[in-house]
Amino acid sequence: MRTLRMIAVGALLHTKQLSRSPFEIATALIVPVVQATLAVYLFRAGGEPGRLLEAAVGAGLMGVWSSVLFGSGGAVQNQRWQGTLEMIMLAPRPPALVVLPITLATALTGTYAMVATLAWGRLLYGIPLTFADPLAFAIAVPGCIIGLGMFGLLLASTFVLLRNANALTNTLEYPIWLVSGMLVPITALPGWTGPIAAVLPTTWGARAVREAATGSGPVWPSLGICLAISLACLALGAIMMTHVERRARAAATLALA
Amino acid sequence: MTALLRLVGTGGVIAYRALFNWTTPAMFVGTLLVGPLFQLLFFAYLGRQLGVADDGFYITGNAVLAASLACVFGGTMAVSNERRFGTLGHVLLSPRSRTAVFLGRVLPYAANGLLIAVTTMTAAALLLGLRVPLDALPGLLLTLAVAALACGFFGLTLGAIGLRFRDVWLVSNVSVALLLLLTGVNVPAAGLPAWMRITGELLPITHAAEAARRLVAGDGFQAAAPQLAAELAIATAYAVLAALLLKVFEAESRRRASLDTL
Repeated sequence: MRTLRMIAVGALLHTKQLSRSPFEIATALIVPVVQATLAVYLFRAGGEPGRLLEAAVGAGLMGVWSSVLFGSGGAVQNQRWQGTLEMIMLAPRPPALVVLPITLATALTGTYAMVATLAWGRLLYGIPLTFADPLAFAIAVPGCIIGLGMFGLLLASTFVLLRNANALTNTLEYPIWLVSGMLVPITALPGWTGPIAAVLPTTWGARAVREAATGSGPVWPSLGICLAISLACLALGAIMMTHVERRARAAATLALA
Repeated sequence: MTALLRLVGTGGVIAYRALFNWTTPAMFVGTLLVGPLFQLLFFAYLGRQLGVADDGFYITGNAVLAASLACVFGGTMAVSNERRFGTLGHVLLSPRSRTAVFLGRVLPYAANGLLIAVTTMTAAALLLGLRVPLDALPGLLLTLAVAALACGFFGLTLGAIGLRFRDVWLVSNVSVALLLLLTGVNVPAAGLPAWMRITGELLPITHAAEAARRLVAGDGFQAAAPQLAAELAIATAYAVLAALLLKVFEAESRRRASLDTL
C-alpha cells in the first residue's frame, strides 16, 4: 500500500512539475492537434470519411507515445540537469520505484493528446464520438497509458546506458507509430515487422483502444496482453535500473553525462 | 568582395562547428538520417493503404521535407544558441556586417539539409522501388538544394524572432509540424482547404516538392522550372525578412538592454 501511495504521489508531483513548463504545455497543446488535422485530411483524401474517429484516436495515441518516448528517454537526463538525480538515487527505495512515477507522469501528460485530438475532431470536423463500447474505451485508454508508462521505465533504464539517448528517442517516434498500427494497419506492412509488432505493448494498447472505439474486435484480450507485456517491461526495467545504479555508484559517474 | 565571401563562408563553417560541438555520429545518423527515413516510410505506407497517392508522391515529397528538420532548427540555432551560450553580444559587437555573418551561417545548414534529403531519397527509392530518370538528377539536386536553402532562411527568420521572444524552440517545433500539414507533401494540395493551401504557398518546401515530383515523373526541367523559381523567390523573401528582423531586433535589444535576457 505504501509503495502504491509513493508511486501515486510521485506521479502527481512529476505531472505537476511537467505542467509548469510553458514549452511542454504549448508543444503538447499544439502538435497533437496538427497531427490529428493531418490524419483527418489524409483519411478524407483517401475517401475514408467513415474512419475519421479511428484517425482521431490513432493521432491521440501517437501523441501519448511521443510524450512517453521523449519523457522517459529524458527522465534520468533531466534529473541530472536539474541536480536532483543524486537525491533520487539516495532515496531508501529501489531506483525503479523512484523513476517509475516519472515515466507514469509523462504518460499521464500524454493523455492530453488523446483528449485534445478527440475534442478537436468533434468541434472542428464534426466527427461523431460514438464509441462502439464507451465503457471499454474509458478503461482501455487509461489501461494503455499505464502500460506505456511501465514500458517507459524500460526505455528510461536502457537510455541511461546509452551516452546519446537523444539519438535513439529522436529515431524511435515514427517506427513505433508505424509498426504498432496506430494509423497504418499492421497488415499493410511487410511481413517481417509482424514479430516486432507482437512484442511491443504499444501495438496491443493501440489495438485495444481502436477495438473499443470501432468495435472491430474483443477489447479485453488486447488490453490484457498490453498490460502483461508492460509488466514484463517493468520487471526488466527494474532489474536494469538497479544494475545501472550500482554501476554508476561504483564508478562514481552518477552525475556525469 | 573576397573579404565578404570569406566572412560568409569561413564564418558560417566555424559557427556551424561551434554550435554543433555537442553532436556525435550516432546522434547525427539517428536524428537526421534515420528519423526522416522512417517518417517517409510512415507516410508512404499510410498513403498507400488509404489510396491517397502512389509511393513516388510520398518519397519525393518527404525527401524534400527531410531537409527541413536540420535546416529550420539549424537556422534557429544560428541565432538563439548564441544568446543561450552568452556569445551573442560578442557577435553583435563585431565591426563587420552582422547581416552577412548570419546569412552566411545558413549555408552549412543548407548543405547539411541537402545531404539529408539526398540520403533519404536514395534510401527510400531503394527500399520502395522508385525509379528516377537519370537526366532528372541534376535538376532534382538543384531543387533539393534550393529547398534546403529556403528552409535555412525560414529557420533564420524564426531565430531572429528568438531575439525578441523567449520560447523560440516552441515556434520552431510547431513550424516543423505545420510544414508536414501545409506543404502538400503528405496530403495533396487539392484535399486541403483554401486557406491552408495559400499558407502553404508561402512556406518553403511546397514549390520544391512540386518541382521535384515533376522531375521524377520525367516531365523535364522546363516543366519544373516555374515551381523551382517560386521556391527560390520564397528563399530570397525569407532571407530578406530574416535580415530585416535581425537588424530591427538587434537595435531594439541594444536600446532596451535586453540582449542576454533569457
